[in-house]
Amino acid sequence: MIRPELRSVPDVRLVLQRRESRPTRPITMTSFLPTFPLPTNPLLLFGLLLLAGVVGGELAKRALRLPRVVGYVLTGLLLSGVGLFDAKIVRESWIFVDIALGLILFELGRRLDFSWFRRDPWLAATGVLESALSFALVLGALVYFDVRPIYAAVAASIAIATSPAVVMVVAQELKAEGQVTERALSLVAINSVIAYVTATMLLAWIHHEYHAGWTTVLLHPVYLLAGSLLLGYLASVSVVGLGRWLGKSERGHSVAALALVIVTVGLAKALELSVVLSLLAFGVLSRSLDKRHDLMPFEFGRIGEMFVVVLFVVGGATLRMDELVTGGTLALVFILARFVGKSIGVLALTYFSGVRRGAAGLLCLALTPMSGLAISMVQGTTSMYPEFGAHLAAIVLSAVLIMELVGPVAVQFALRRAGEAVEAENK
Amino acid sequence: MSDDREMEFKSSATLSVGVELELQILNSRDHDLARDAADLLGMLEKAGHPGAVKPEITESMVELNSSIHQGYDTLVAELKTIRDAVTKAAERLNLRIAGGGSHPFHQWTDRRIYPTERFKHLLELYGYLAKQFTVFGQHVHIGCPNGDAAVYLAQILSRYVPHFIALSASSPFQQGEDTSYQSSRLNTVSAFPLSGQIPFVHSWEEFTAFFNKMRNFGIVESMKDFYWDIRPKPEFGPVEVRVFDTPLTVERAAVLAAYVQALAHHVLNDRPAAPERDVFTLYNYNRFQACRYGLDGTLIDAYGGERRKLADDVLLTLARIAPNAGALGSAAVLNGLGSSIMSGPTDAQWLRQAYKERKSLNDVARMQSERWMGRQPAVA
Repeated sequence: MIRPELRSVPDVRLVLQRRESRPTRPITMTSFLPTFPLPTNPLLLFGLLLLAGVVGGELAKRALRLPRVVGYVLTGLLLSGVGLFDAKIVRESWIFVDIALGLILFELGRRLDFSWFRRDPWLAATGVLESALSFALVLGALVYFDVRPIYAAVAASIAIATSPAVVMVVAQELKAEGQVTERALSLVAINSVIAYVTATMLLAWIHHEYHAGWTTVLLHPVYLLAGSLLLGYLASVSVVGLGRWLGKSERGHSVAALALVIVTVGLAKALELSVVLSLLAFGVLSRSLDKRHDLMPFEFGRIGEMFVVVLFVVGGATLRMDELVTGGTLALVFILARFVGKSIGVLALTYFSGVRRGAAGLLCLALTPMSGLAISMVQGTTSMYPEFGAHLAAIVLSAVLIMELVGPVAVQFALRRAGEAVEAENK
Repeated sequence: MSDDREMEFKSSATLSVGVELELQILNSRDHDLARDAADLLGMLEKAGHPGAVKPEITESMVELNSSIHQGYDTLVAELKTIRDAVTKAAERLNLRIAGGGSHPFHQWTDRRIYPTERFKHLLELYGYLAKQFTVFGQHVHIGCPNGDAAVYLAQILSRYVPHFIALSASSPFQQGEDTSYQSSRLNTVSAFPLSGQIPFVHSWEEFTAFFNKMRNFGIVESMKDFYWDIRPKPEFGPVEVRVFDTPLTVERAAVLAAYVQALAHHVLNDRPAAPERDVFTLYNYNRFQACRYGLDGTLIDAYGGERRKLADDVLLTLARIAPNAGALGSAAVLNGLGSSIMSGPTDAQWLRQAYKERKSLNDVARMQSERWMGRQPAVA
């Protein structure tokens, strides 16, 4: 998105002029004063978004008794609604979204415990089945409603993913812990991976549709998948090695991991790889490669929280209320088919995992949220073929908007009902 | 519960032995305490297993009960079977189970009370102590023929309480700190107003009179309200020794039970001494020594006034009760206990060693659980 601007000659010249002009500006009495309108800078932007989000989240919590996440999204919606959030600001603030997603996907990856799937294969099977069914049902429903198959398929691949950010943040806010929480997060990890791999494979189809050369059709998905995995692998080798060298220090390890997450996000963008897949792979492998348990368990805590607030505000700002109108029935079809697909998958197999009755129903609710991950997947296609992206956005983003607001409430309900939220007790 | 029938002593098979183990439920991510007791119990109920597994005061604990046994062999076999069942159920839920008297780094403020009427009542009564009570002990039940025998046994066994503490000590860490104690768990228990020891009474009649007095004062409703180190349990007939930390393995738990059983055999059959008031005079000092220093602590013998290293006193006792152990079929097991005292390490030492090597209490908790579940600790 940014590269074309840099390449275009006038822009570069402008930039250079601006740089040169500074020292030659005649020194006047007020030259130390800023010029108006104030140029935005990322720091100011980050701080303001954070501030707005915090206030919005608290208002949602106090006035509406909703999870703070909903408040962050509403803040974003409001900011863009009153025109304070133009496309340029969204673009500039997207870096924070990437960092936040990176942190969340890394943590999610670290939660993906393959040894659990060995001991409870039904859990893994549940994840695969609910992913497959939500894909199939959304695809079928959209095609039935006359959406072109290629759009329907990409939209359906996005439907597979549950928002890791929403589930993790709501669980953290409630200090929830227990089987429903843990299983929900594992299912989210599974369906995020499947969604992303599916979407990447579908890229071949999109390229073909837009008459890209065969090399692109075949090699681009391969480059994305293999490259992202390799990047994630290198990052996890580094973090394990660094952790061993630093010795057992929780602080040291979390700073090292934070640094490597940001480096990996940066590299993934520089190499045109997938941030999502790289960071998920980083998380998963940093756990499974650490055979000697050199890494201390760590959390990104407050720092992670800051980025998450901004993630949701920006996420909200990219959505627009008028999309609800254009999306209309299609959004409802999308949401319904997705929910039915996921629920059938979860209800069919959770029983075999042997968890208490009622857990399956709550898991269905906990898997409903959509958010930043979906938006970022839509943007992934937008950047290459804007026209395709626009069509896709029309189908998907209104559903995301609804689920970004309803999802957190559903997760909150599920975790409270499961008795896994701390605040539910005698506090 | 509170009518007089409660204090009618039901005799149980003399010298039968049963074990209760309070266990830690850990998550598999950072090995902090988890809160999945209800789900774990639900899954165990479906799977079926010998003995019983029950809830405890917070959601991070379960209590495992053996059935009643005549000797070590069947006891240890059953404990292993229950352990394997609990391990399997826990792993399906991605949980870990650990022995040890304390969790090395959990924060008591994170604990939640298991939602039964009794536990809610305890929270209301004892406040934060109820959550701090997330420590893990082993109880050994010894069958007694009648109430008088039970009172006598409880009085005489009081002298050996430091042995039980030192042999099982496995709570060197609490709340993320090395406490410098071998068993820090008992300091937590001591905070309760009804903890301590059985009063100096000589017969079941005297004991019942004491109990009724306390009940009439409105201090207790049932024997369960006394958190004594050793207490008679009239409804089932046994005497219950409650000072043990839960050892790191069920095998060790069975060995300790065999030790108590052989001691009880000695006490009830050989009637070695009359109860001695000085046992109680010295009780807290000796108990402290055992908690603080374990087998290296000092024991002052109330009967002769001698000072002895606790380890030596245990070895002397083992020699004295060897014939009783022979009669019970646990001679080899108690020989093994004797050599473990010479060779070490105790559970508390093992835990400290693990910390020294790994420099992380998360690793200690992980290794603790691997050891209890019968898995090899990866890189000790």
